[in-house]
Amino acid sequence: MTEHLTFESRRSHTEERGFSGFIERHPVLVFTSPAAIVVFILMIFPVFYTVYMSVHSWFASSLTRPEFIGIKNFQRAFFEDERFRNALWLTLYFTALATALQVVLGVALALLLNRPFRGKGFFRSIFLLPMVATPVAIALVWMMMYNPTLGVMNYIVGLVKLGPFKWVSDANLVIPALAIVDTWEWTPLITLITLAGLATLPLEPYESALIDGATPAQMFWRITLPLLRPTIMVALLFRSIDCLKTFDIIYVMTAGGPGFASETLNVYTFQVGLFYFHIGYACSLLVILFTLVLAVSLLLIKVRRGSW
Amino acid sequence: MRTRWLCGFLFGVLAVAVAWAAIGEAAQFNWQQFKGTQLRVMLNKHPWQIAIEPHLKEFEALTGMKLVVEVYPEDQFRAKTSVELQSGSGSIDVFMTMPAQEGLKYLRAGWYQPVDEYLKDASITSPDYNWNDFMEVGRSAMTVDGRVIGPPIQLETNQLMYRKDVFQKYNVKVPTTLDELEAAAKALNGKAMTDEGQNGYGFVARGKRAAATSIFSGYLYAMGSAWLTASREPAFNSDEGVKAFDLYGRLLRLYGPPGSENNHWYEASSIMGQGKAAMYTEFDSISAFVEDPEKSKVKGKIGYVMFPKGPGGKPGTMATVWGLGIPKSSKSPKAAWLFLQWATNKEQVLAITAERAVQGGRTSVWNDPKAKVKMNPELAEALIQGLKVGNSNWNPAVVAVPEVRDAVGAAIVTSIQGGDVKAAVNKAAADTKRIMAETEKK
Repeated sequence: MTEHLTFESRRSHTEERGFSGFIERHPVLVFTSPAAIVVFILMIFPVFYTVYMSVHSWFASSLTRPEFIGIKNFQRAFFEDERFRNALWLTLYFTALATALQVVLGVALALLLNRPFRGKGFFRSIFLLPMVATPVAIALVWMMMYNPTLGVMNYIVGLVKLGPFKWVSDANLVIPALAIVDTWEWTPLITLITLAGLATLPLEPYESALIDGATPAQMFWRITLPLLRPTIMVALLFRSIDCLKTFDIIYVMTAGGPGFASETLNVYTFQVGLFYFHIGYACSLLVILFTLVLAVSLLLIKVRRGSW
Repeated sequence: MRTRWLCGFLFGVLAVAVAWAAIGEAAQFNWQQFKGTQLRVMLNKHPWQIAIEPHLKEFEALTGMKLVVEVYPEDQFRAKTSVELQSGSGSIDVFMTMPAQEGLKYLRAGWYQPVDEYLKDASITSPDYNWNDFMEVGRSAMTVDGRVIGPPIQLETNQLMYRKDVFQKYNVKVPTTLDELEAAAKALNGKAMTDEGQNGYGFVARGKRAAATSIFSGYLYAMGSAWLTASREPAFNSDEGVKAFDLYGRLLRLYGPPGSENNHWYEASSIMGQGKAAMYTEFDSISAFVEDPEKSKVKGKIGYVMFPKGPGGKPGTMATVWGLGIPKSSKSPKAAWLFLQWATNKEQVLAITAERAVQGGRTSVWNDPKAKVKMNPELAEALIQGLKVGNSNWNPAVVAVPEVRDAVGAAIVTSIQGGDVKAAVNKAAADTKRIMAETEKK
C-alpha cells in the first residue's frame, strides 16, 4: 500500500504530521527563515528603530522615557544647530576633496601599472598595501608625520620652500590634511577596480584608431576614458559612500578638532549619541546621514547609466 | 634579673590588654555580618586600582565575602558602567566614580545609592571609620546635591611643573602669580633647554577642545571668575572670565608649541618629557609620565609648585577626586558599604600611600611620616598646600558635563587661534545655558 501512495494521499499523510509536515510543505519559508530572522534583527530592525527614535527626544536616563516630538529634531538640526550645519558642510567638503584626489590618482596609477614593465606584479602588490593596513594605525603614524615640530611633513614641504604648516592643528588645513590621509589609504582601491576595468577593454577601437592616425592622448581621452567610465563610476560610488561615513581616521587624529573644524556628520553624531546621550537627536542625525548617502549613491548610479 | 622579669611581665600584661581591646572593638563591629555575599567591583585602570588590588584578599579574609573585580581603561570603563547602570538591572555592587564628571547626571538619573544614612548607622559603620578624617575638599567633592556618594579614594591638584635647571640657567624666578607665569613664559620661550641644546617653548598645556577645560578651570578661578553663579547661571563670561580665556589662549599661542589646539595631556606631557618646554600646568599624577624613568629626558629636573595665584591672591588650585560609589541597583548595598569602608579605612589608605604614593585624602595619614616615603617631596608639599585651598569644581556642576565641556572648549580653541575671545566666550555661555535648560528640566 505504501509503495502506491497517490499524490493526494501522501499530502494528507504529511499534513497529519505537524511540524515536519509543515517543513515539507513550505521548504522555502523554513530554510530561509534563520537567515531572514538574523537580517531582520541585526539590520532591518535597527534601521526602523533609528527612524522611530529620530522623532523622539530622549536624554538617556533610567528615570525618563522617550518623548514624542515629531519633526522637531530635524527642525533643530537644519535651522538652529550651527554644529550640524558645519558638520554637513565639512562632510561634503571632505568627500568631494578626497574622492576627487583618489579618482584622479587612482586612474593614473592604474594606467601606469597596466603597461608592461619589469617587476609589475611586485609594484602592484606594494601599491595595495595601504588599503590592507589598520586605519587606526595609519592615523597614528600620520599624526606623527603631521606633528608641526617633530613631523616629517614640514620637512618635505620645506624642501620645496613651503610651510611650515600646522596641518591637522590648523582649522583651515585640517580637512585637506585628512583628505590626504584618506587618499593615501584608499587610492589603491580605485587603482584595483580600474585595473580590472582596463583588462576587459576591447582592442579593436585602438587598432582602428591607430590606423586612423590618432595620437596617444586622443586615444586616452576618446577611447580609454569613455570605455572606462562605468568602472570609474563604480569606484567613485564606493569611495563617496565611504568618505561620507569616514569616522576612524578623523576620530583618532583630531576627534573633530581643532574646535569643530573637522567635525563631520558621523563624528558629530557619535558625540551627540554616545557622549552627550541625546539619543533621539543622534538618531535623527543618523537618518539625515543615511538619506545623504542614499541620495549621493542614487545620483551616481543615475550618472553611470546616463551619459557624462 | 628582677627588672628583666618585671619588664617581661609588664609587656605580657600590655599585650593581653591590647589584644583584649582589639577583640572588644571587633566584637562591637561585626565585619562578618554579610559572610558569603559576592560583590562585583568595577574599577578604572588607575594608580589606586593598582595599589589596592594586592590587598583585596585581606578584605575577603576579614569579611568572608567574595569579590569579583573587573578593570577597564577609562573610556571603556565609563561606557560600560553607564550602560549597565542605565539598564537598571546591572549586577554591579561597587564602582569607581568621579562626581565632578558624572555626579549630577548619575544622581539625578537615580543611579547612586547615597551613603549618608549608612554613615550614621552604627550597625554597619565601624566606630573607628572617622568620616571627618577625610580632608574637607575630598568630602565636598564626594557630596552631590547634598548627598554623600561615597568615600574619596584619590585626590589630585593642578600644579605648576617647571624645569628647575632651565629656570636656574636663565635666572628666572619661579612664578607664584599668573602675571609672573606669563612673564616667565615670555622670558624662556625660544631658549635652549634640551640636552642637545635645542630651543624649547616657554609653556605647554592641553589645548584640545573638551580636554583643555579641566586645566583651564584653574586659570578661570584664579582670575576671580567661576563656572556658574550661585543661581546656576553661566558665570565664566564675566570680564574676569574673558580675561582668563584670553590669557590661556595667549600663553599657548605666543609661548607654546604650534598645534596646541589638538594637544591632549598625552601630547603635552610628551613635549614636557622630551625637554621641549619650560613650564607645564597639569594635574599632578602626570608626574609619572613626565618623569617616566624609561622615556623622560627630564627626570629629576622637574620642580612642582602650587598653581599660580590670580589678581588679589585668588587661588587657582583645583582638586580632582576619584571615589567609590554603590549603584542603586545593587542587590547588597550594605555589604558593598562594608567594602567602601574597608578600602578607605586608615590602615588601608596608609598602606597604599606608603607603597604606591597614591594620595587618599585622610588627614591622619598625611600627618604620618610613613606615608610619604615614595612621594616626590616638592610635589607632596604643593599637593597638601593646594588641597587646603583647592576647590573641586574643575568641571561646571551640570548634568550634561561632556556637552558643556565641548561648548566651553570651543571658546578655548578660539582663544588659542587668536580669534574673537569675547564673542566666543559669550557663545559658549549661551550654549551652556541652552544645554542646561534642555538637560536639567524637571
